[in-house]
This record gives sequence, structure tokens and C-alpha cells, in this order.
Amino acid sequence: MRRLAGGLLVAAATLALPAVLDDSALAVYILLGLAAMVTVGVSLLMGYAGQVSLGQGAFYAIGAYTAALLALGGVPPLAGLIAAPLVAAASALVIGTPLLRLRGHHLAFATLAMQLILLSVAGQMEFTGGDIGLQAIPQFGIGSWEMSSAAAYAYLTWAGVALVMLVTYNVSTSRPGRALRALATSETAAASSGIPVGRYKLAVFALSAAFAGLAGSIYCFYTGYVAPGSFPVLISIQYIVMAVVGGLGTIWGAVVGATAITLLVQGLNIVGALPGMPTYAPSVLSYAVYALVLILVVLFLPQGLLPALTRRLPSRVRARS
Amino acid sequence: MIDVTDLVVSYGTATALDHVTLSVRQGEMVALLGPNGAGKSTLANTLAGILAPVSGTVRIGGRLALIPEGRQLFPDMSVADNLALGGWRSGQRDPSAVYELLPRLAELAGRRAGVLSGGEQQMVAFGRAMMARPEALVVDELSLGLAPTVTADLAAHLAELNREHGLTVLLIEQNARLAFELCHRAYVLESGRLVAEGESAELAEDPRVASAYLGGAIT
Amino acid sequence: MSAFLSYLLNGLAVGCAIALIASGLVVIHRVTGVVNFAQGTFAVVAGLCASSLLGMGLPHGLSEVAAVLAGAVAGLLTGLAAIGRRGTSPLSALIVTLGVGVLAYAVEIVLWGDQPRSAPGLAGSVTIAGARIQTQHLLVICVTAATFVLIALFFGRTYLGKALTACASNPYAARVVGIDTRRMGLLAFAIGGLLGGLAGVLITPLRPISFDTDVTLIVNGFAAAVFGALTRPVITLIGALLLGVAETMAAGYGYGSHQLEVALGLMILVMIVQASRRSTIHEETV
Repeated sequence: MRRLAGGLLVAAATLALPAVLDDSALAVYILLGLAAMVTVGVSLLMGYAGQVSLGQGAFYAIGAYTAALLALGGVPPLAGLIAAPLVAAASALVIGTPLLRLRGHHLAFATLAMQLILLSVAGQMEFTGGDIGLQAIPQFGIGSWEMSSAAAYAYLTWAGVALVMLVTYNVSTSRPGRALRALATSETAAASSGIPVGRYKLAVFALSAAFAGLAGSIYCFYTGYVAPGSFPVLISIQYIVMAVVGGLGTIWGAVVGATAITLLVQGLNIVGALPGMPTYAPSVLSYAVYALVLILVVLFLPQGLLPALTRRLPSRVRARS
Repeated sequence: MIDVTDLVVSYGTATALDHVTLSVRQGEMVALLGPNGAGKSTLANTLAGILAPVSGTVRIGGRLALIPEGRQLFPDMSVADNLALGGWRSGQRDPSAVYELLPRLAELAGRRAGVLSGGEQQMVAFGRAMMARPEALVVDELSLGLAPTVTADLAAHLAELNREHGLTVLLIEQNARLAFELCHRAYVLESGRLVAEGESAELAEDPRVASAYLGGAIT
Repeated sequence: MSAFLSYLLNGLAVGCAIALIASGLVVIHRVTGVVNFAQGTFAVVAGLCASSLLGMGLPHGLSEVAAVLAGAVAGLLTGLAAIGRRGTSPLSALIVTLGVGVLAYAVEIVLWGDQPRSAPGLAGSVTIAGARIQTQHLLVICVTAATFVLIALFFGRTYLGKALTACASNPYAARVVGIDTRRMGLLAFAIGGLLGGLAGVLITPLRPISFDTDVTLIVNGFAAAVFGALTRPVITLIGALLLGVAETMAAGYGYGSHQLEVALGLMILVMIVQASRRSTIHEETV
């Protein structure tokens, strides 16, 4: 009951915020939602499938480029919005089939390599606009209605977040979802109890890619511009920081992690932009914060911020050892 | 030489040793019996300082060396290097004293430890432990997986070291016959608790010990 | 023909730098089980240090040695973060080293700015069998060869080196004989820092280094190290040389823009082949 009330309160606040925020705050709000969407997938992948992906930004990029190319080709934006996660998931299936034979640090490096290759290719191909990227992407819209206000994008983004969370919730409570939990703790044990480990891992990988693809497509409509430089390796690391901070394998944790890190970095950007600060201050501060938060949480709060806090509540008993 | 008081050791939530108290006097040779999973190796690792106790005390009155269960050599290194590393704590890097004690090792010096037979590996593990110039030696499963003649040979060396050099020995064994033969006193550990202790001769008469460890000779 | 020879020699020099980074990875991974993502960072730190020290007017030799030592210190600090705390799993430690790499960005930008920096190396070039090769390239090859010989002697002949090998061979047994495996792990990180630092100092005169050069370095180094399954130094060296030559040839014959993809694709391929071979063995033995 208390959880339901809490959930409704959060939902109400989420819906109310776009009405009261100004455009620059809305930009943060939208980017936060997009990051949360990707992070839910990363958290699912790391927490449920026990796999570290250092290349989640690649699927974000695939989603963004897919939507952008379709929109520039005259395809209705709604079709692009739907196609982006599908293309990202399909790419994940193709890439993941060989890649997910790897595990641990091998997979981490392979996914990083995948993103580097993708960025390099996107920077050289004619149809992706090379290093300059794609510009003048039409606004999102349905039929003749065109989405032009930032507030509308905020609603679209957070509707996406809600959808992603709902899907993840259903996956995690399903029978395969519970089997996946076993997979994260011991792959051998899971395999010997008859769980099709490989297929489930691939499915989670594709699902997390679909989330990133969806976020990428909203990003491209919102900014009207995509380029290889929009998807640096650091963005993939950022998602890991958010997922780790929130607590791996927890749906709300991913959102909490994304919120905490985004607000922290925004706050530091404001500090860094104060008069008298050196020009490099904002980037230095955000690097330092990502790094320190990541190191400290991994070492001292390996379960993440949210589980560490909720464990204190007696109503929730966690059977984790 | 070895004094363990009220020792508790656990892995996460599982308690491996539950309030164990035992002692081995200087120059004594004592056996520790028990089935698989009783906590024998946990005790050995705690005595060697590899595991930390949750509570209780472990007091060692001199240099202690461990011959771990399963030999645990450095398989891709030579026998000579294995021995030399045994002297890490004592600073003794020249294995000639050990070659004198176990001449067979001198013949094996250049071989890779991983390719040796089980008996030879146990001898290397023995020699490696002796490189530490120990005053107390914990032997975890001397006879496990070895032919009886090989075990007898190693046991003879152990008894000689105990008799002539006053080496204190805690012999952890599943083979109770061997343990009672070598040691005048023994402890029995089951599920992390000591369930019996006493002179070997008395323990061998104890019906419970006899049925569990001596093949049920007495009922 | 002389173009081929000069590409080959230049490629070997590039491969040598990769080999130094990769061997640092291998040393750390063997002793601690951790793959150190900050390995490229050590090279960056040392390279930037060398450029500053030389810029301040310190003589050659002294500057380079000091810079390499700075790399070793960076290695030690990374090790403290990654394995200093008991019970950190290798994968957690990998994420920590990732964090250290990003943290280094902040420090490097404050100290050196975000623009690439270079350092003067050996000037001039020599002609070998009709092929012109920069003297600095020759220096890289010679120093790397000497380093690999020294490393082999250290691990194979010295007591401390054997103790490090023992930690890699059987960590439990190492603890049985009283070796402090954690301290050995830190030593391995310092050696890794030293090797990374050496690479950084050697390549800074060849190609300018900036704070984010570490990604290219670590990815190339890792690619070479997976050739040797992250444990075998000699195969790692061969892998690094092949990679360096292949990349330089690709660039030399006009496919320069694809050299990164070639290296990365190769790395993924090697890993997948190794993984499938491992799982077949696994299936056979179970």
C-alpha cells in the first residue's frame, strides 16, 4: 500500500514537472529521462545477466541514426520512433550471437570495441554524414501535428521511461526473469538446472539495446542533430556509473542512479561555469565526479545506493547474501 | 606450541569452526581426525594465518609451516624453485639441507613440479614446508591419494623429525589407523565441533570412534 | 621494396610500444587476475610528464627516467584502488580501474590542459638497406627488446620475480608459504605502471599524446594481450608486433582510416575463437 502511494506520488511529480520547468531545466529533465531509459537496460544486463557492456552507447547511437535517417528520408517520425528500438535490438542479436560467448573482461572490451568500430564507421560513411553527422532532422510528430515544445518532448521521454520500466518489471517477475537471476549469480548452476543460458543472455542483451535505441531516437528528434561526437565512449561509462550507483538489477535503482548522477553533474556544471573558474572546470569536475562516484560505490556500496537505503526498511526483506 | 582457544571461523553465514579449543605441546605429535567437511582444513588454514578467526584466539609459540591438502605446489615451476619459495618467510633459499633430509628431491630438482607423481609431489610439499625451518608443522591429509608404501615412507620421515629434532606436529588425517600409529594423542572434529579427544589407545577403544574411523571393528 | 621495409620497421616500432602496454596488462593480470583498464593511462601520464620535464629544461635521460617512475607511481595508486580493499572481485576491480582512468582525465586536464603534447626525441633518421627509418623508431625497438629480456630475467631468475610468478601460478599456495599476495599484486601494478610509462615516454616524440589517448592505447594493448590469453608474454609480444605492422601497412598503403577497425575486429575474432575453443575443452572434460 505504502509502495503504491509512493509510486503514485512519483508519477504525479513526473507529470507535473514539465509544466513548471523552464526550457533549460527541461533540457536536463529530458536528458535525464533518456539516460534513465538506457540505464534500466544496463542495470538489467549487469544485474540479471551478469554481463558488463562498455558499449551501450553504440545502441543509443544506432537508435538515433536509424530514426534520423528514416526521418530525413521522409518516413513518418512515429515509424522511426518504433523502428529505432527494433533496429537496435536486431543489431544486438546479430552482434551478440558471437559476442556473448565472451564473458567478464573479454565481453567488456569486446563491447567497447564494438562502439569504437561503430563510431569510426559512422564517421567515415557518406550516408551517415561522416564526422559532421546528420542535421536538420524534422521534429517528432504524428500526422499533421508536430511536436515543437520542450515540455512535449519531456512527456514523450518520460512515457518512454515508464514503458521501459513496465517491460523490465514484467520481464523480471516472469519465470525466465527469475531464472535470469540465477544466471547472474552462477552461470554454471543455471545451465545445469536446464536454463537456456545463452538464449536468455541474448534476449536481455537485445532488450537492453532496444531501450537504448528508443532513447536514441527521442534524442535525435529532440536535438535535431546526430554525429559520432554525440556518443563518446564516456557515455557508455556514464550508464554504468548510473546503474552501479542505483543498484544493479533494480528497476527504480536505475532511475534513481540516473537522477542522482545527472543532478550532481548539472550542479557541478553550474559551479564550474561560475565566473573566475578556469574554462576546463566543467569537464574536469564531471570527469572527477563520474570517476570518484564509480570507484567509491563499487568498493563501499557494491549493492548500490537504493538497495543500501531500502535495506534499512523492515518491510522489505532481501534474500541476497 | 599450538594453543587454540574457543575458536570460531565462518565463511559468510556458514560456521566452519564452532568454539574449538585444542593444544599441542612442544615436541608433541598430535592427530586431528574427522570426516570430509568437518572443518579440518579450515583449522589448518587458520593456524597458518590464511583465514582470520571470527572470535577466539590462536597462539603459535614458534615458526609454523603448513603442508596443505592436495599438495598445492606451483605446478609450472621447478622443484628447486618450489623449495626455494618455501623459504620465503625464513629467508632460507638454499635447499641443500632439505636435500639431505629427502635425497630424492635432489634428483627431482630440475623437474617441473606439475608433472611429478602424487607421492613425489607430496614429498616436494613436505620439503617446501621444511624450507621454512618450522618448529611446528601442520600436515593436512598426508596419506590422501597416495600408495601405502609412499605414505609409510613419508610418515617415517615425519616421525624421525619429531623424535630427533623435536618438531611439533599436528597431523590432520582421515586414515585413523595411520594417525593412531604415529600420534600418541588425538582430537576428533565433526561439523565444526570437537566431539572427542584423548590418548590414541583410548580413542581406538571408543566404540563410536572405532565404528566411524576404524571400519566398525568394534560394535 | 624500400617502402615496404620502412613500413615494416615503423610498424615494428609501433608494435613494440603496444607490446610494452600489453605486457603491463599481462603482468598485472597474471598476478592479480585483474584486467587493468587504466594501463593506457600510465603511458599518457608518463608521456605528458616527459614533455613537461623536457620543457622545463631538464636534460634527456633524467626527464625520461623520472617520467617512467611517475608511470610506476600511477600504477601503484591504481593498484591500491583496485585491489587494496579485501574481497574486491576481479570484475569489480576492472570497473574500479575504469574509474581510475576517468579520474586521471580530470587530473591530466588540470595539469596539462586538453591539447595534445609532444616531446623531442632522437632526431634524424638512418638508412637501412635502402629504407629510411627514424632514429626514434630504432630507439623504441631497442629499448623494448632490452625491456623484454630484463623482464624475462626478472621473472625467471630472481627470487622476487619467482615469488610474483608463484602468485600467478597458485595464489593459495603462495599464501601457504607466507607470500603476501596483496603486496605482490601492488608490486605487479607498479611494474605495469613502469612498462606503460616506458611506452608513453617512447611514443610521445612520435605521435603527440593527449589525456584521451589512453583509449587507443589500452584497446591496442588489450588486443595484443588477448593473443596470449592475457597470460603468455611471448605470444603477446608477437601479437603486438603483428598488430603494429598490420596497422602501419594499412596506413602506408592507403587504408589508414580503417586501421582501428582492423585491430578491434581482429581482437574480437581472437577472443571468440579462444572462447569457443575453451568451451569445447570444457564440454569434453565435464
